[in-house]
Amino acid sequence: MRAVVPGREISSKRNKLKMLEIKNLHVKIAEDNAEILNGIDLTIPKGEVHAIMGPNGSGKSTLAYVLAGKEDYEITEGSIHWNGEDITEMDPDERAAAGVFLAFQYPIEIPGVATMTFLRTAMNAIRRVRDEDELSTPDFMRIVKEKAKELGIADDKLKRPLNVGFSGGEKKRQEILQMSLLEPSLCVLDETDSGLDIDALKIVADGVNRLRGEDRAMLVITHYQRLLNYIVPDQVHVLSHGKIVRSGGKELALELEESGYAEFGEAAA
Amino acid sequence: MASEVLKTKAEQELAQQFEAGMPNLPGSDVAWTKAMRDAAWQTYAAVGLPHRRVEEWKYTDLRSLLKDAYPPAPALGEALTTQDVDTALGQGAALDSYRVVVVNGHYREELSNLDGLDGQVVVQSLSDALTTPSDWLQATLGQVAPQPDDVVVALNAALMTGGVIVTVAKGAQVEKPVHLVHVAAVKDPAGLATRNVVHVGEGAALTLIESYNDHSALAVQRNAVTELIADDRAEVHHIKFQNENAESTHLSTWMTRLGANVTYRAFQFSAGASVARNQVFVRFAGEGSSSHVSGAVLGRNRQHNDTTMVIDHAVPECESREFFKLVLDDEARGIVQCKVNVHRDAQKSDGHQIAHGLLLSEAAEFDSKPELEIFADDVVCGHGSTSGQVDEDLLFYLRARGIPEPEARALLIEAFVGEALEKIEREDVRNIFSATTSAWLGGKGA
Repeated sequence: MRAVVPGREISSKRNKLKMLEIKNLHVKIAEDNAEILNGIDLTIPKGEVHAIMGPNGSGKSTLAYVLAGKEDYEITEGSIHWNGEDITEMDPDERAAAGVFLAFQYPIEIPGVATMTFLRTAMNAIRRVRDEDELSTPDFMRIVKEKAKELGIADDKLKRPLNVGFSGGEKKRQEILQMSLLEPSLCVLDETDSGLDIDALKIVADGVNRLRGEDRAMLVITHYQRLLNYIVPDQVHVLSHGKIVRSGGKELALELEESGYAEFGEAAA
Repeated sequence: MASEVLKTKAEQELAQQFEAGMPNLPGSDVAWTKAMRDAAWQTYAAVGLPHRRVEEWKYTDLRSLLKDAYPPAPALGEALTTQDVDTALGQGAALDSYRVVVVNGHYREELSNLDGLDGQVVVQSLSDALTTPSDWLQATLGQVAPQPDDVVVALNAALMTGGVIVTVAKGAQVEKPVHLVHVAAVKDPAGLATRNVVHVGEGAALTLIESYNDHSALAVQRNAVTELIADDRAEVHHIKFQNENAESTHLSTWMTRLGANVTYRAFQFSAGASVARNQVFVRFAGEGSSSHVSGAVLGRNRQHNDTTMVIDHAVPECESREFFKLVLDDEARGIVQCKVNVHRDAQKSDGHQIAHGLLLSEAAEFDSKPELEIFADDVVCGHGSTSGQVDEDLLFYLRARGIPEPEARALLIEAFVGEALEKIEREDVRNIFSATTSAWLGGKGA
């Protein structure tokens, strides 16, 4: 909240600009001097899906974490605006309330926290911010079961502690389940394809595609082109050494698949 | 005598109380009872209150922690109603149970409810029993799993005013828990020494819950002992809910003897008292038995909570598990020490102990001391202990889903405690502790 107040006026003027705007973003690890992102400029209008590709160590996951507000990183320069609102200094939960959602590359196991309790707490927290009533138990159960079914998540998985003992594929499905329940307006998917076999990849991609829409922007981060056969992007950007070095249409992904990342410094990573 | 000079104020007060109070204690005019009390007093008086140079008490120096010994609580205290008992019980009042109410160490039949027990469980006042000690009592009291060197147990024997004797008939399957509700109701700070003796017959099944609460918010120094005998093939779930006020001292000792093929599941939930010492002594007396002792401790401010266990594998082929979780905030201090003795003949013993501390502040402290004394050569024994803070990665994950930090933190702490609560088989009991944990996290102190 603290960053919002001074920018209130600008915010209302820019209300029409429904998009993610990253400007000259420089980031380092908080306890280190090495810069991981060196001036990223990226704009994603609502309704579009953009993909970020790049070699290992190019800063892809850092970008995802910084968008979600992870505290291990320090933004030394630049800004992130979402829907005209400066979210650069916001806490992770405030960003989530503002509509930002990160689907984690490595979803975390939380022993002792039942999946349903977690989902309900998160949904109600977001609903409170949106001035919506908390969900009744029957409504909550119905919605969760419906969405879980679409993603092929068995009921018994919902009864377990969050992600505990789940396979890589099951964890990724849980991420997409959370995304579809929280209905964010900015979805950041960090290597959602990693650890998925082709069947699981299709189910997850279908889940993501169902969420595409006019009011939602998506940033899909991936190392491989494969995912983009199922989630077809409007734009593809190549990240290398913490900077976007090339942008193009969806065909750029195919080109990278053939040529590899050698020219973008894979070896240096 | 030189030792007189070295007595602390509390020790001097205890001596005066014993001398002056002895004639009024139940059974003081009965030779056996009086001799038992005198012998116990001598055991205590020879060494005085335990201090940090006594290894078992190194973390809990009673000589310095007990500044005073409060006078014994008056026999019946204030007249209480069932409503008062419910209020004192807090979350525990909701439990559907056979209720045995003990106020200031005296069994109060009119506040108890044993309807429907049909003689499966018999409850007697220990005060009455001490005035007419049966052969059984004489052979049993202090003999279940004797701790001849334990000064706190000796003090209890010397000063105890009552408690209950619970006898569960052979083969009885008691569905609802038997709830021993110990309430302190005093008008001035007071001392309370109580003892329960529980005998679970062969093949019987019992859930026994002991609650320690107060009606008045005044400091109470409690010394509570429970001796429990489980005969062959019995199944006993033994639970303690300690939620005394923050001024009180809670000294508690369980001495348990297990026959053959017994299943013993113990759980201690401790959220109250300024100083709490929870002693658990389990003695395997028959082969093929299993003892799991678990617990959760919630500490804040300057609370001191020490759980000390001794598990005695005196016979072969028994299994013991200990699992504890402690949440410690502010300057609270938590201790878990567990000694597992495997006797020479106790082959195929299987013992494992775990203690986890979650520190919510820089000044909180968790001490863990596992001890294994193994004299047999074919055994499996292990131990583990961790101490840490709330995991920042987990916190970030929850916050990234829109859950505000305080709520996310509370969820993770509840989850941490929840892993201990899972050891409790009965959902109704688990829910009480879970609700008490939530209330504690909400700052209401349970």
